[in-house]
Amino acid sequence: MASIDITDVRKAYGSTKILHGVDLTIKDGEFVVLVGPSGCGKSTLLRMIAGLEDISSGEIRIGGRIVNDLDPKDRDIAMVFQSYALYPHMTVADNMSYSLRLRKTAKEKIASAISGAAAKLSLTPLMERRPKALSGGQRQRVAMGRAIVRSPKAFLFDEPLSNLDARLREHMRGEIKKLHQDLGATSIYVTHDQIEAMTLADRIVAMNAGLVQQVGSPLDLYDRPANLFVAGFMGSPAMNMFEGTYRAANGGTVELAQGVVVPLAGPAPTADGTKLTLGIRPEHVLVGKTGLEGIQALIDLVEPTGFGTILHASAFGADVKAFSLERGVAVRGDTVSVSFPVERIHLFDTATGSRIG
Amino acid sequence: MTEAVSAQYGRDRRPFLRRLAIASEPYLYSAPALILIVTVMLVPLAIGISYAFRDMTLLDPFSGGFIGLDHFRAIAKDKTFWLALKNTVYWTGYSVALQFAFGLILALLLDKPFYGRGLAQALCFLPWAVPSFLSGLNWAWMFNPVVGPIPHWLYGIGLMSAPDNILSDPDLAMWGPIIANVWWGIPFFAITLLAALQSIPRDLYEAAAIDGATPFQRFRSITLPFLAPTIAITVMLRTIWIANFADLIVVMTNGGPADKTQIVASYIFTQAFRRLDFGYASAIAMVLLLLLMVYSLLIVFLRQTLLKER
Repeated sequence: MASIDITDVRKAYGSTKILHGVDLTIKDGEFVVLVGPSGCGKSTLLRMIAGLEDISSGEIRIGGRIVNDLDPKDRDIAMVFQSYALYPHMTVADNMSYSLRLRKTAKEKIASAISGAAAKLSLTPLMERRPKALSGGQRQRVAMGRAIVRSPKAFLFDEPLSNLDARLREHMRGEIKKLHQDLGATSIYVTHDQIEAMTLADRIVAMNAGLVQQVGSPLDLYDRPANLFVAGFMGSPAMNMFEGTYRAANGGTVELAQGVVVPLAGPAPTADGTKLTLGIRPEHVLVGKTGLEGIQALIDLVEPTGFGTILHASAFGADVKAFSLERGVAVRGDTVSVSFPVERIHLFDTATGSRIG
Repeated sequence: MTEAVSAQYGRDRRPFLRRLAIASEPYLYSAPALILIVTVMLVPLAIGISYAFRDMTLLDPFSGGFIGLDHFRAIAKDKTFWLALKNTVYWTGYSVALQFAFGLILALLLDKPFYGRGLAQALCFLPWAVPSFLSGLNWAWMFNPVVGPIPHWLYGIGLMSAPDNILSDPDLAMWGPIIANVWWGIPFFAITLLAALQSIPRDLYEAAAIDGATPFQRFRSITLPFLAPTIAITVMLRTIWIANFADLIVVMTNGGPADKTQIVASYIFTQAFRRLDFGYASAIAMVLLLLLMVYSLLIVFLRQTLLKER
């Protein structure tokens, strides 16, 4: 087990810059999830930690030792690949023992290590099979088994669940979390799936366009997104965002399109006339009957999810999404009033994208 | 087809012509392909094989009679044939081994990305496009001390005591066509092995690197098992091909000096087109065919076992 320190790490392929200086400290035993859209540099960062990509500049330390110029095998890390990367011509047992055999570990030690891992991952009856004869979930478990037999300093996961169907993904998510709680190993997990990030992480690192956008606990990122990118990326259905202008008069309001005014509370967040983006999560939008206080809106679309209902309404020239746990709140064509509870409102500076208050 | 099925139950009451049509339907569908195969492949093969059992000398108008196994008895006593068979083994063995070794090295080099790889690939595959007769002539000239540089180079680095033509040296002559053949045939192995290499998922190598495998261990435990079926099939193809491949030898040495470079294929050529004894040539060709069939069955069997292990 070890901590991982990343200091001002950059990556460029020729003149194309992929990472623009990443700083990150991962504590011993922590489960950190790198999340972001495709091409944000999260996989590149993981591969640089693994030693599969060169580091253009900056420093990566594992357990205090600089690993920039170390080969992957000398970094004492294990990685689970999206494709699992199992050796197709080897049995499950051989796949799991390969790294130990290369290190000339004693036979009895290998046997006990792989039988321990197999038991932990319920792979024992499959040990003599080849990967071809396994299902997706079983292959995934073999890939994890191959990682844990060595008890490395850190585990790296590169979108390990992307190739599984939804149900299996949910199940394996739970297994990975349990495994981490059992082993307590430092883990870095890359995904583009924000649900995986929320459920697995001790801390989430949200990345976009080669930059770290926000680092924090899952609920931190959800409740207090640092900027428009994080606000829009975390949460499904995504947060509503409306552009408007801050007005200091009347105790502070945000003036949205078509003269709609949303009152704010507390001290003035910014100067009068500043362009703002008002964000509110769909589950926080209140939908009521017309006539009540609020903004008039016309229901365009009703999406029942079973768990609740997603309502799409048009108001002040914008699309307002609302999520309700109740059913039959409204039907298409209804006119309703929507309101944004003041304590649930997120404000962002439209020009810089960063959070206000 | 449903009608055909019903015929199994009870007596078929349909008219005879209709039943005939139904019964012959599958054969009629496959007839065009079968007729084509029979006329262009089987008929010439059968006629060729029949020559082996007949006295077929082109210059003798009374020849053509059936002589049973006389040709094969003659082969058993033919010293040149046995020498040619031994030479064939050398020629094929060295050619295939060297072509394979250099082809594999070339494929491994071309598999790694580098600046100008596209051009290098195109150039490396160029020898394959050179007609074999042309490359034979080319190499024959290069080995000729009067016009070619190679004897002078070999003399210069001390490998030869005098800049002689190795094609006229009974002990070395076989190496002339072998070298020409290796040069000419490397691209075949390079192309097929490169294609196989590129089908190996990259992340297997990455996983192995993290698992602690050195480049050589990665080659042994990932590259070789993945290449094995391709290696088996290409080596088999090339072996048969080269064993039958007389062009370079006919052009460069014509089997000489003193039959030292005569292989079975060039011996067949000599018997058929210089002595014009088609019957004897055909009998030798049948012996070669049988030997190669046994060999390829062995390789196919080997490949099946390799594939089963995947």
